[in-house]
Amino acid sequence: MSEILRMEHISKQFGDFYANKDINFDVQQGEVHTLLGENGAGKSTLMNVLIGLYQPTEGSIYLRGKKVEIDSPAEAVRLGIGMVHQHFMLVEAMTVFQNIILGDRRYKGIFIDHAARRKEILELSWRYGLNIDLEAKITDISVGAQQRVEILKALYRGAELLILDEPTAALTDIEVEGLYSVIDKLKSEGKSIVFISHKMREVLHVSDRVTILRAGKTIKTLLASETDGKELANLMIGRDLVECEYEKKESEQEPVIELRNVDYNKTSKHNGLNGVSLMVRKGEILGIAGVDGNGQSQLSQIVTGVTMAEAGEVVLKGCKVNHVTAADFIEKNVSHIPEDRNRMGLVGNMTVEENLLLKSTQDCAFCDLNGWHLKKKAMRTYSESMRVKYDIRCQGMDQEIRSLSGGNQQKVILARELEAKPDLLVAVHPTRGLDIGATRYVRDNMIAARDAGCAVLLISADFDEVLQLSDRIIVMFEGKVMGEYSGKNPPISTISLAMAGK
Amino acid sequence: MQKTKTLNVLIPVLSILLAFFIGMLIILALGKNPIEAIGYLMKGAFGSKTNLANTVVRSMPLIFTGLCTCFAYRCGVFNLGGEGQFLAGAMAAITVSLLIGHEGWWVSIVAVLAGTVAGGIWGLLPGILKTWRGINEMITTIMFNYVATLFMGYLYTTALREGSVPQTAPVPDATKIGRIFPDLRITWGIVIAIVLGIAIWYFLFYTSKGFQLRAVGFNPVASSYNGLSVKKYMLTAFIVSGAIAGLGGAADVLGTQFRLISGYGGGYGFDGVALALIAQLHPLATVAVAYFFAVLRVGSTTMQVGTGVPTSVIDIIQALVIIFAVAGSSMMYLPKVRKFVTNLFERKEAK
Repeated sequence: MSEILRMEHISKQFGDFYANKDINFDVQQGEVHTLLGENGAGKSTLMNVLIGLYQPTEGSIYLRGKKVEIDSPAEAVRLGIGMVHQHFMLVEAMTVFQNIILGDRRYKGIFIDHAARRKEILELSWRYGLNIDLEAKITDISVGAQQRVEILKALYRGAELLILDEPTAALTDIEVEGLYSVIDKLKSEGKSIVFISHKMREVLHVSDRVTILRAGKTIKTLLASETDGKELANLMIGRDLVECEYEKKESEQEPVIELRNVDYNKTSKHNGLNGVSLMVRKGEILGIAGVDGNGQSQLSQIVTGVTMAEAGEVVLKGCKVNHVTAADFIEKNVSHIPEDRNRMGLVGNMTVEENLLLKSTQDCAFCDLNGWHLKKKAMRTYSESMRVKYDIRCQGMDQEIRSLSGGNQQKVILARELEAKPDLLVAVHPTRGLDIGATRYVRDNMIAARDAGCAVLLISADFDEVLQLSDRIIVMFEGKVMGEYSGKNPPISTISLAMAGK
Repeated sequence: MQKTKTLNVLIPVLSILLAFFIGMLIILALGKNPIEAIGYLMKGAFGSKTNLANTVVRSMPLIFTGLCTCFAYRCGVFNLGGEGQFLAGAMAAITVSLLIGHEGWWVSIVAVLAGTVAGGIWGLLPGILKTWRGINEMITTIMFNYVATLFMGYLYTTALREGSVPQTAPVPDATKIGRIFPDLRITWGIVIAIVLGIAIWYFLFYTSKGFQLRAVGFNPVASSYNGLSVKKYMLTAFIVSGAIAGLGGAADVLGTQFRLISGYGGGYGFDGVALALIAQLHPLATVAVAYFFAVLRVGSTTMQVGTGVPTSVIDIIQALVIIFAVAGSSMMYLPKVRKFVTNLFERKEAK
């Protein structure tokens, strides 16, 4: 094996803060080298240095032993470095083919030789087992397929080194298997991969070597075959991880929300509900297990008032719900941690403080004169106290929220939703994309809310999460409820079969 | 954070300086002395009490249409119909003042109110089309501009025509909006304009409703998930921005213009859009930029008389300011430029 990339003594400084400090990292040809670390450990900064978005304050980068200056993403592409971002960079209204040739700089000229390009792409996709319909529009294909488009796009531009940023975060289990086989294929063709993740199991499964980052520094580089999840987790968070088992409770209290035979967009298998009946009681966590895209989004929207059920009854706190809006549900103390925090949870261009107070500027604690004068001082005091209480790491309350890391964004949402002291908390993929520390934090808070008497509806594609937290488990498949199971000693194999529709 | 604020001021200022620099090169190419020309421009704008008053008078309608844009865009409503809404206000005001059969200060209040309502309705109509039918407001508001302009033609050629010239009768003297100083043309309209600018600034940044309106403008989906009624806010933005422009039209026709004639109001709407964008949609900055536009307009006439440099040079400068400001803001999205600027700020912070 020969070395393809070496990053030596990389430091990146923002003001007084070192996002990366003296990092050494190398990748051999044909290996999968994982970067492991919590949110804010410096993984993204390091990769942004590698793809030319940032210039390192100190240090140098060598590609195949030759020193290079990567001063723009275009230069990175030219040098054969391709990145698949966690949030895909695709034009949804265009076809797969159009997306792949978009921004292609290798061929000059006014006209595009469609046939030649298509043939080239098909050959690549065949060689790497990336099975994609080139004529499909991005909006019409699954998340897993979109990811394959991103990989294909990178390969088409001549990537020898592929960076996969948390590639499994949005995938279903079956899609993850597919990704593994693509990675194997890439390796066997001599491509090298930098894999960014914080899921132990997949890291151990997929990597050859693992480098652990913590607080901007390299902690250790290990061979995956010579380590285990416990050692990695300890290195990553810098303390011993206690295997946590939350106490399960059986609630006999009254239901906070009840759905009776609810239909929504019934004919759609993946975006609808078909005769769903369920209830969430005070002081329990009801977990919805199921592969993503089996009606969970629609369920979450109906129990938070964002959309209306087309048929059936929704009963909230003993009252039948007829015509409602999200505002009515918020009024009734329903909190929502939405599935897409950037699109549905936060206003990216507004500040941390403004997002914390998004729902409460009408409260008399924060305004006088019926909303016609905001108490800016009270707002600042409150948001600063939230920053401490929820450990939100940001430069200041006036920082735009979109520049925060995912974990800290989620903490802002958590702070906003839990401080409302909800009677019903609807949490959709609450820990998606978060590191161990932040995940633990979010889960502890949900358990605390349950113990305080809140009814919690947990919708998650992460099966482990549902198993860990839920007092009762419901499985959804193609818009239907497949069965209900106890959260205590759940029959895992039965549930797995139910998730597959059997 | 600090960076965005600094850039918001820096980009317009640099744009203005750069535009002036190029404008002076053009004057030089015309064989004139640019320093002298700018001198005449300044003299024309600030040289006497009357000239200074003229700049204030010229700025008033621009402030209104600029604030109209500012308010709408903050809520994510791309209202390009400032001109039509301005004319709707002017037409309603003059119709009321001519047909009410009385004159006096109370008539002018009624007329101003009528103008405000008319502007609001002219904004509401495309708002309804947008909210319930999803029709792009950029197209409908422009279409409504034509409807307003042509309807004004009907008023001054037919319905309210006075004599053989195609123009309406003037507003009765007692109904005109009063002057602040008897010997200057500045009316109380400018006070309304400035107070309105401050009020909008306060509303957007110091009230709960204004906060929610900005949230809707930035991210309607997240706003609706967080219980804000997106439709209500957008419709409100259509109505209020229209009413602002309508109020401007009424104040202009009752205070400055006194009658409707062919070509009245032309360009105010789009100037308003341009200057609000230069002002980065900040209400107070909008007032300031509107005044700057007015200075250019008034001063350019003196410059033409004094040096023979045509007023169109000033139009060029004004257009360049817009181009540079918009290009400057967009340039921040280019990775290389962003990197350069970030490095610049980092170096400053490091010191």
